[in-house]
Amino acid sequence: MKTKRPNKYKLWLLPFFTVTALFLIVPLVLMVTSSFTSGATGAFTFSNYTEVFTNAFYYQSFLNSGMIALFSSVVGLLLAIIVAYAMTCLPNKIQDKISVYINLAANFAGVPLAFAFIILVGNSGAFRLFFDGLSIPLLSEFNLYSWQGLTLTYLYFQIPLGILFIYPSLKKMRKEWKEAAFLLGATNAMYWRKIGLPNIMPSIAGTFIIMFANGMGTYETAYALTGSNVNLITIRIAALVSGDIYAQPEVGSTLAIIFAMMMLLILATSQILLKRVRRDLA
Amino acid sequence: MTKKKNHFIAYSTLVIFGLYMIFPFISTGLYATSTAWSNTILPEDFTFQWFVALGQDPNFIAALLRSVSLTLITLAVVLIIMVPTVCLVYLYFPKVDNFLKGLVLMPYAIPSVILATGLLRMYAGSVVPMYAVLVGGLFIGSLPFMYQGIRNSLEGIGAKSLMESAEILGANTLQSFLRVIVPNIRLGLLITTLLIFAGFFGEFVLTNLLIGGNYETIRIYMLRRMSENGHLASAVMVAYFTLLLLLSLLITRLTSAGKVKRKERRSKRNRRAVGSFQNPSETVSLTKQ
Repeated sequence: MKTKRPNKYKLWLLPFFTVTALFLIVPLVLMVTSSFTSGATGAFTFSNYTEVFTNAFYYQSFLNSGMIALFSSVVGLLLAIIVAYAMTCLPNKIQDKISVYINLAANFAGVPLAFAFIILVGNSGAFRLFFDGLSIPLLSEFNLYSWQGLTLTYLYFQIPLGILFIYPSLKKMRKEWKEAAFLLGATNAMYWRKIGLPNIMPSIAGTFIIMFANGMGTYETAYALTGSNVNLITIRIAALVSGDIYAQPEVGSTLAIIFAMMMLLILATSQILLKRVRRDLA
Repeated sequence: MTKKKNHFIAYSTLVIFGLYMIFPFISTGLYATSTAWSNTILPEDFTFQWFVALGQDPNFIAALLRSVSLTLITLAVVLIIMVPTVCLVYLYFPKVDNFLKGLVLMPYAIPSVILATGLLRMYAGSVVPMYAVLVGGLFIGSLPFMYQGIRNSLEGIGAKSLMESAEILGANTLQSFLRVIVPNIRLGLLITTLLIFAGFFGEFVLTNLLIGGNYETIRIYMLRRMSENGHLASAVMVAYFTLLLLLSLLITRLTSAGKVKRKERRSKRNRRAVGSFQNPSETVSLTKQ
């Protein structure tokens, strides 16, 4: 009964594949061909790639994005683990509620987030005034509209994101493991080194990669905070493709292709790692 | 003793984290209710004038309506296409399902900026209206989320055996889909839809890059106001997050309602349908930074 009938339903899949083709696959393919097209003559060329790889400006944008993403995901991950672990110590009812609000906080990114940080630690932000009033030079060197500010701001949405991914795997760790380890004479540190960490390590690695990719791809927050002042890869691409006077869509496509390749590589690695987690737990 | 101590550490960690998380909200709220806050730690006065001004600003109303209409239209398209597709694929085409699993992950690898680049490349200056392109782009962005949400619901209700039972009892496929599957996944679908609603409503990157200046949605309005009048911009943000908060409360309510139901039925099956939004792999599409 199951073998023959489905074929007549295949037609129903057509809308989905049409939309995906029109708005995902074909644009991506066109972007690839565009990256091999000369902006001036329309002929086939490698010049876009040579320009991207030789121009220090573009190289710098990858580096800047990478550093901010790296820093915000390392620090964010550490804090996420601490908070997620604290969450597992609470009664279940509260845990469920908290995760909903963490979801909400993860949505507090982009324009509203940038503005809130301007109010708090911008040039005349409340915290800056507070520390100045106490003559504590904690923020005097800090510039919100630079890579420092971006990292601090990214942290705000990276931590909740990290919690959302780390929390389930921390929850899977049984209390009995700890009890068993203690009964056998392990100390807290030994428990974490031999049992706790090895167990959550794959998901920590997977989460890190997701956070890193998320940091690399961030556009709205950076744009709202710094405009085009900080040379980031997403900002660079957007400036190259959206129709202002410096528009060079071919170079933009090239950057986008290289960026997409990096992201695919990152994602593939994370998938492999996550699969490993599942096999371990199965 | 140690247990209590642990709880104390856990609670204080969470309180500190909570404060960190809530500070930007508070500062935005204070900014929205004051007229002067530049040389003091706390604002100097308290007023609702910005909210009144907002209500009288036709641009704000227009931006709000644009955001709502864009969200509703896109949601309708997404639901009409995705629900039957995921159901069919899950029930009858396991090979296509495996392919889809990989395909829907694409938006994770391709940040909105890259997608916008491709879409501009293909459609800029073409006969296809950019509004349609935007709807298509948003559709793509919501893929991982929608797919997971629907699929979790289907798995949760054991759609395969339900479908078989319905057909044994003489219903045709369309009947069993509309009368058996859809009512059963309604709750999971509703929760997924609400979360996607929040995502679409706050969309910025695609909208700004694809039709930007010509179509001012709520986030673009926010950004423009931010450089003109911070207090007014804050008021927009407060209104926006009140809406999101209400949405979150609704989701919590619905989820716990589902849990009560689940307890009553004492179903042995692992019903992930209801709690599906907590699946971390789905939340990424919402965080469009």
